[in-house]
Amino acid sequence: MTTTIALSSGVSALMLVLLLVLPSVSSPTVPFGVRVPARRVDDPTVVRQTRIYRWRVFALGIVSAAVGVVIYGLTGKPFLLPLSVLMVVGVWYGCYFLANRKIRVAKAAGGWYEGLHQGIAVDTELRTDPPRFPWLWLAPALIVTVATTVIGVIAYPSMPEMLVVHHGANGVPNRLAAKSVNAAFSLVFVQIGVTALLVGIAAAIFFSSRSDIDPGRPVSSARWHRRYMSLGAKALLGLVAMIDLGMLGSSLLMWTGTVISWAPLVVVLPILVAVVVAVVVLARNNLAGDEAEEVTGMAHRDDDMYWRGGLFYVNPEDHALVVPRRFGLGWTLNFGNPRVAMLLVAVVGLAGLLITLRFGG
Amino acid sequence: MILNVDLASEVPIYQQIRDRIVEAIADGVLTEGSPLPATRALAADFGINFHTVNKAYDLLRQQGLIRLNRKTGAVVTSTVADSPFCTEWTARARTLLAEAVAKGLPADGVLKTCESVLNSFGTDLSEDTP
Repeated sequence: MTTTIALSSGVSALMLVLLLVLPSVSSPTVPFGVRVPARRVDDPTVVRQTRIYRWRVFALGIVSAAVGVVIYGLTGKPFLLPLSVLMVVGVWYGCYFLANRKIRVAKAAGGWYEGLHQGIAVDTELRTDPPRFPWLWLAPALIVTVATTVIGVIAYPSMPEMLVVHHGANGVPNRLAAKSVNAAFSLVFVQIGVTALLVGIAAAIFFSSRSDIDPGRPVSSARWHRRYMSLGAKALLGLVAMIDLGMLGSSLLMWTGTVISWAPLVVVLPILVAVVVAVVVLARNNLAGDEAEEVTGMAHRDDDMYWRGGLFYVNPEDHALVVPRRFGLGWTLNFGNPRVAMLLVAVVGLAGLLITLRFGG
Repeated sequence: MILNVDLASEVPIYQQIRDRIVEAIADGVLTEGSPLPATRALAADFGINFHTVNKAYDLLRQQGLIRLNRKTGAVVTSTVADSPFCTEWTARARTLLAEAVAKGLPADGVLKTCESVLNSFGTDLSEDTP
């Protein structure tokens, strides 16, 4: 119980720190998802809303995490614990939306874009000489998966007749299965599935995400885009390798019949470490460097109307599937693109099918 | 190469794209054989209709500045100014210079501007040439 509470509180604390840091690592010309001209990034409204957002997120985030722990303490039901993380996210969006609305109102009232030349900048070399996908970074994940398979094949004859296939939140085995190829190699299948899925996501982002180049400083902005794409792909491939490593550790416990109270940590710790490293690396590089460049005097076009709720990009006229996130790290989908809608339907359908099969079995 | 489009300009977007590509050729950023993005890809990057990019590329093709091919896409070509081009270009230059005179700009200032603009072209080429 203590381990579960510590783990959940740790995840909530990490999220809280990230949410408090996000305004500092997001583009200053898009405070809380509102596009503003460069001369307005230090507007009193923006500064005040950033301060208010931080206080609200800090106070309400702690309260939400505490409520989650108390509910778990009273009911003892582990599945209620992720609720505290969900509550932190809910509280965050409320604070974000309030700040977004205040800045949008100030922007409209003050006519922040009046008299400015709005433009779009494109770096054609991103198409004619695209950055290379870091395929070499896939090697650790592949090596771990192949190693797991080879060890499993060698150890199969000496595996116990009953295999532990699931642990409770307290580390006690709560599901056993008779030895079979399906049961013994279940985590290898997970490795293969997760590797294929995340490599697919990394490749989709890398090859089909639209660059969002600042027309005011296009050269440094394009250079940053190249670097960030490469870093993002490496971060995802690193995460895949660590997930596979967690599966290898868990498989070894299963195959040797070892029962330890901290068995869930064997899976959770590598993933948590990878997520923290990926978040830190992306957060540190989330802004274009302050390189010396002659400014063009052009402002980014005001495209707020395509960002519903300040967070969801819905632009049916834009053919891009993936676009850089306005607030936060990484990328988001263009929900106005019919292909994204089809993809979401397919994902929901697949999840439904898996749940049905799982509970049906 | 960075392509900047000013949405507030009275110049149509296709014309701006065409102008920026011509300037890049003059600057030496684009040389003979330099590829340009496919029309759909460039349109997606700008978030505009691909017919707009098509129109810009078609203008460049008509002027012999690029070659359009199904396999290789749009590629910059080498070109030599012919007589009809010289006549048409002189007429446009005349209008532009007439604007300067009508606005009262001094002749030596206009000449200096022309010279400095001409000198600014091809700087990338001369730097790359040993």
